[in-house]
Amino acid sequence: MAKSLRIEAVSGKMQERGWTQAHLAKLVGVSSQTITNWLRGRDFPRPSALLKLAVTLGLEFEKLVDNGETATPVIAFRKKAGTKTTDHHISKARGMGYLLKPLVPLLPGKRPLRTLITSPDCEYGQLRKAVEQTRAVLGIGQHAVLSYNHLIGEFLRNSAVLVPVLWGKKDRHENALHIRLPEEDVTFVYLNLDVRLEDFKFWIAHELAHVYTPELAGTDAGEDFADAFAGALLFPHECAEAAYREAVGKPQSALIKALVKHAHHHQVSLNTVHQQVKRYAKNGGLPLLAVEDRTIHQVRNRAIGPTVSEALFDPMPPDADKYISLAGSVFQSEFFLALERLIKEREVGAGYVQQVLDIPLKDSVSVHRALAL
Amino acid sequence: MTLVLLDTNAYLRLAKRIRPMLGVEFGAKKYVLVVLKDVEDEVHRSATLKFKFPWFDEQLLAEERLATRLRLTAEEKEAIRVATGVLRASVLDDPSRFMAGGGSPPSPVDCHVLAHGYVKGCLITTDDLSMHRLADDFGIRVWHGHELLKALLHAKAVDTKLVKEIFDALDANGDLPASWRAARHVKFPKIFGKNS
Repeated sequence: MAKSLRIEAVSGKMQERGWTQAHLAKLVGVSSQTITNWLRGRDFPRPSALLKLAVTLGLEFEKLVDNGETATPVIAFRKKAGTKTTDHHISKARGMGYLLKPLVPLLPGKRPLRTLITSPDCEYGQLRKAVEQTRAVLGIGQHAVLSYNHLIGEFLRNSAVLVPVLWGKKDRHENALHIRLPEEDVTFVYLNLDVRLEDFKFWIAHELAHVYTPELAGTDAGEDFADAFAGALLFPHECAEAAYREAVGKPQSALIKALVKHAHHHQVSLNTVHQQVKRYAKNGGLPLLAVEDRTIHQVRNRAIGPTVSEALFDPMPPDADKYISLAGSVFQSEFFLALERLIKEREVGAGYVQQVLDIPLKDSVSVHRALAL
Repeated sequence: MTLVLLDTNAYLRLAKRIRPMLGVEFGAKKYVLVVLKDVEDEVHRSATLKFKFPWFDEQLLAEERLATRLRLTAEEKEAIRVATGVLRASVLDDPSRFMAGGGSPPSPVDCHVLAHGYVKGCLITTDDLSMHRLADDFGIRVWHGHELLKALLHAKAVDTKLVKEIFDALDANGDLPASWRAARHVKFPKIFGKNS
């Protein structure tokens, strides 16, 4: 879709300031006819005139120009606790999305057979059905442990490109970022490896839910479904039932011990197990386990395990070669293959690497150098 | 007076050897060099830059930057915000046009610097060719670092010895931009000769 001016916004600003078209034309340095042509959609301003128009009217680009909905990247964040998403976060992530577009033609061939959850619903029974179908596609039963390989393979099968990143433990708004390019029909999923290992599987499953429900990406409903689906996929009804039976009626310490055992077995957090057991009990009208959320969090926080990056790399931080190699071998990521082709074929600079990975200049130079060799 | 705004790299290439540099009027057009707080932020954020340019935080230089920092009215700040958005949108609309020959699309900070040039009507000095291309699209005036050096030489604010010293030092540090290399014998034939 071609770009066009948002006529209502321009007219509104002119009205607010009491300007005629002739006056605006004079301020922008064009003829009245040119303004008329812009407002009737017959013509679109040249770059310098667009800049002048935006500054003169005090209208931000997004308010002044309709870019065409299909071209706009769709963003979803897996936020860190206690952070707030601002316009800055969204526009920065969208910017990364636009910059990823030149990379798409260099990705290996697309896979046409996708898994789509067409009617995403957080209702217990519906969610259970969606999980059963997903696990059937993966070839595993409801009691089986869902491995990282199962999850990672699903991203690849659904044209979603995993981008493992080292964004640090602090000073970051999000721990995972989902950028969908609707026109290109490709999704990039950035996963911060500097997070606690026990939470990581949940986040990958959460991102997978976004891949399965592209029409909900970037909405609150999409976030709610992704959270509910991730918990149910990792620890389904049948597992929750077994854990509930084992824990119910026991004193608190024995009860927690039982839940911890299940969490370790499934490589998920104690909280995930607890929440799934709680949902199981509520749905079945059964009494809840005699433990509060607060206690579960206290137990969790007492034993802070390693981060994903600490578990994968020794020493930390890894050099660029090791990092890139692991992205391919562990995460089956095609991101760096495409980036390498872009750098080698078009001699793209380190500044591009910095912007699409959102990393410091120094790190981007190392990654660029490793890929350019 | 014509303000000349230096981006981070342009400042780092010259500030160690040209002193005083900022806030001093030179030439018939009364050029005055300034930098943004962004320069401060960029260097302090980057361990590499801090390591490579240890002189950056010398008191005299820090005070010079602080004293000559560009002052903006609320209206100018708002205009710069809007202009930055338009410039960045233009980059994102077709990033590929900047991505060849070692180039990268101008970053949000680059767009912010160019927006200052547009709103304040100042000249921007940068050796980033992508910024030159973007500036050309929007009619924003930009200089290469060597063009600034030429203007300083023309105004006798620096002498030929210092120009040569700056070129040689950048070359020795592997930091001589291709545009400077190409300009050496064309813009400064009296110093470097007409042919290499």
